[in-house]
Amino acid sequence: MRFPSRLLVANMFFAVLLWLAALAVTAAIAAAVAVFGDLDQSAWEKVPQIARWYALFTGVALIREFLPMYIAHGQTRREFGGHALVTALLFAPFLGVLFALGYLIERGVYALAGLPPVLGRGHLYADTLQFPVVVAEHTLQFAVWLAAGTFLGAAYYRWAGGGVLACLPVAAGLVLLAESTVGGDLRLPFANRFGLGLDLAWPAAVLAGTGVATVLAGLALTWPIIRDVPLRTTRA
Amino acid sequence: MKVEIDGLGLRYGETAALDGLTCTLDGGKIYGLLGRNGSGKTSLMSVLAAFRRQTFGQVRVAGEPVFENRRVTRRISLITHTGETTDIGTAEDALYFAEWLRPDWDGELARSLMDAFGLAPKAKVKEMSTGQRSAMGAVIGLAGRAPLTMFDECHLGMDVPSRKIFYDALLADYMDHPRTIVLSSHLIDEVAPLFEEVLILDRGRLLLQEETPALLGRGTTVTGPADRVAAFTAGLTVLDERRLGPTVAAVVYGPLDDARRREAAGAGLELAPVPLQDLFVHLTADPAGAPAAAPAGAPAAEPSGEPR
Amino acid sequence: MFDDRSPIYRQIADRIKTEVLTEALKEDERVMSTNEYAAYYRINPATVAKAFQQLVDEGVLYKKRGIGMFVSPQAREVLRDRHRERFFTDVVDPMIDEALAIGVPLADVVRRIEGRDAR
Repeated sequence: MRFPSRLLVANMFFAVLLWLAALAVTAAIAAAVAVFGDLDQSAWEKVPQIARWYALFTGVALIREFLPMYIAHGQTRREFGGHALVTALLFAPFLGVLFALGYLIERGVYALAGLPPVLGRGHLYADTLQFPVVVAEHTLQFAVWLAAGTFLGAAYYRWAGGGVLACLPVAAGLVLLAESTVGGDLRLPFANRFGLGLDLAWPAAVLAGTGVATVLAGLALTWPIIRDVPLRTTRA
Repeated sequence: MKVEIDGLGLRYGETAALDGLTCTLDGGKIYGLLGRNGSGKTSLMSVLAAFRRQTFGQVRVAGEPVFENRRVTRRISLITHTGETTDIGTAEDALYFAEWLRPDWDGELARSLMDAFGLAPKAKVKEMSTGQRSAMGAVIGLAGRAPLTMFDECHLGMDVPSRKIFYDALLADYMDHPRTIVLSSHLIDEVAPLFEEVLILDRGRLLLQEETPALLGRGTTVTGPADRVAAFTAGLTVLDERRLGPTVAAVVYGPLDDARRREAAGAGLELAPVPLQDLFVHLTADPAGAPAAAPAGAPAAEPSGEPR
Repeated sequence: MFDDRSPIYRQIADRIKTEVLTEALKEDERVMSTNEYAAYYRINPATVAKAFQQLVDEGVLYKKRGIGMFVSPQAREVLRDRHRERFFTDVVDPMIDEALAIGVPLADVVRRIEGRDAR
């Protein structure tokens, strides 16, 4: 199989643009908070709450936009599946690294302004300078959202709204489980209200294994939906 | 590329879009795929391009099955009537991926066609008009140079000047790089001269397959006084009859030899060729809603018996 | 013979024949290629090729392999003979029919022809 260079490059290029925008917006909000109140926490820490939805969207777009394009250009579903898998497995760490770099930039700015780099909630890392741990935690987080995106995207492409409704509990379960392996505070819509956060007191290796398995399960569940999916063409 | 279709069926739930279609395309020609709405043109091309898997029957392209077979799918291209298939990004982005995924891509041709159609490289695909999307599809279909290239009504959204550009580009590139091209269209008279061979589908089956000039030679309008027209057309397949006072114009189907033509001239009858579009209308007409009975002397489902 | 039921055949053939008769195309001169005709008329090159083949069969054109189609040395002769043969059936007879249908005495027609001849 060929390396999915252009599929990755296209998505990474867009991710960098969004990352720059996120930096600018976060800086603006942090500055506003500092001026009008008391900035006593890391602002960048809040970014994944939105960024994970972007990861989900990327997963959906892989199926909704790129799968038909691949087939229309004479590629098989199997080839696309391979490209999508490699792309997902490389794109999530790329987002993880971008995010971790954001912490470093924030750290520098906070140091200049004499602000404390305090984290607002529990993470696998206790300090934003623990680069590998930061990358690992958020890579897993973005990966599971992306995997859930491909799963829901495939369900929608094949069965429209009904498919999404049927698959939504599975996708939500995957996200819930994986998010729980990297931090207790989910900040998912409704999840906290219904006490859905899982408090997993497992050994670190089991947590990591569970997280990775969850991501792979999401991607694996996508395959049977797309392996013989008809391309949508309006019938004439 | 040779295309062999054997007893092909495609169902959408209860609806049979293709119902045991059998035909063979020898390849290396421009084929016209005609049929009324719902006759199965799009379904046939979708199966040929591996966009969907058939319900029953067989499709072989270059001797191999098509679905999920990368050896043949990468040499097949189908441009649908919505033109470009993805909504993301700009025209430039669409070419970026086409160039990467299409093994026979010709970037120079793509750029010159973009210019000819007046497409801006930075134009967002999502914001394009129907005509621009169609043109975009034409660019990608032609520059892809796939050995089996199909256009499904792709020129329908274009205005007249764009269609002329498309026909000219199609012909020129076909002559430079001979390949198998299948074109479906409702604008029959406009595209008929491009076709070397014509296939007409009806209700998911093949109604006829014939070389264009031979098919055109089968239709004749006989015009003259009613009694003399009736005498002349007795025993011939009459597809249509129109009357204006004492004069009758009858469309007959089937070749007329020189003796019959002289006979007509002797009887003071006027003979005229029937344009393909009219022939198509008569052949696929079903006033009673009954299955279109292929006229006697015209091929039914089996075209192989037809004289070439 | 050209299939006069296919107007596009006739257009191509007529154009070439006219060019030969008016000596716009001289003997042993190369005719425009199949592809050039196809592009000009916006038609399938196979249609043009068939038209050319008919002209070859009629002795108007000859083929040099790999180079193209050329006007036969005897093309003009062949066409003039053919036209002469058909002149009475294709031109004179319909004129007479027309004259009779509208009541012009044939004697008037003859007089007219003789008058033109004398000029």
